[in-house]
Amino acid sequence: MSTWLAIAGVGAVTFLLRASFIAFADPHRFPGWFRQALAFVPPAVLAAIVAPGLVMRDGAFDLSWRNPRLIAGLLAILVAARTRSVLATIVSGMAALWLLQWAMG
Amino acid sequence: MPSPREEFLAGSREIAPALVGTMPFGLVTGVASIAAGMSPVEGIALSVLAFSGIAQLVTSQLIALHSPLPLVLVATLVVSLRLVMYSATLSPHLAHLNQRWRLLLSYLMTDQSFASTVRRYAEADERAHKHYHFLGSSLTLWVSWQLSVIAGVVAGAGVPEGWSLDFVVVLTFLALLVPVIRNGADVAAAIVAAVVAMLAAGLPYRLSLIAGSLAGIVAGIALDASRRSSR
Repeated sequence: MSTWLAIAGVGAVTFLLRASFIAFADPHRFPGWFRQALAFVPPAVLAAIVAPGLVMRDGAFDLSWRNPRLIAGLLAILVAARTRSVLATIVSGMAALWLLQWAMG
Repeated sequence: MPSPREEFLAGSREIAPALVGTMPFGLVTGVASIAAGMSPVEGIALSVLAFSGIAQLVTSQLIALHSPLPLVLVATLVVSLRLVMYSATLSPHLAHLNQRWRLLLSYLMTDQSFASTVRRYAEADERAHKHYHFLGSSLTLWVSWQLSVIAGVVAGAGVPEGWSLDFVVVLTFLALLVPVIRNGADVAAAIVAAVVAMLAAGLPYRLSLIAGSLAGIVAGIALDASRRSSR
């Protein structure tokens, strides 16, 4: 039951955020600090999602070069910066990860 | 002037390359909902209602950890705040449409369709049917997303762990992260968010995500403010 409540609640939250300005709000009525904070949401949230996925390994920190996810991730950052292509980033990152995992046994 | 049909098909074609990233992501998201203990129907319902990989993954993780409902909602709110920014950016272009159109396009808006729609509206030609471009890209993504989530739900935990498919999720977000970093304040926001999220990794209920995000936003604002006052 509580799972269905969570599903409905998450659906409502995501829909209301999407519709906030497009369907309901007047952009000019939001305070300046709020709009300024919104500008930093994409870099902050995306970095907070990505970082643990690169340095956490089996529930522990691994900042060494022997962590294949870290190395593959750093390579993917370079590819993303150069190509701006989602496809190239995923293909190069996964290829690097599989190669490193295979090489490190 | 392009017809609605031409706009729709152009939007659909433009989003096609992104599907190579979103479909494995959808698969992983579907698998994650089953791994979190949701039933197949619950996993698919979450996908239809939320239509957001990040929101679905965070919800799955928190349900697996038996988190209280308010925390699930706050966490989804924080990771989905970027949608407010997208909504604010697109709203002037869609203000002439009726409420039904605006509600439909709101529901369908994602990171990928936002990016392609902003690009289309930036073009200086006649704009009357550009919302069909938005509809074409969004609907194509919606259908392929739901199909790949259903495939993941059906496959359950059947995807071998050795494939490390969960890394596709990290790479997808990485590919979205790099282009939004445009100045020093963005760099500061991203680095502070990353460091705090790593340091807070031991916190329960994935609170590290909220802590990292908020710290990054504050760092970005602070750097912006100090730069402005030193001018």
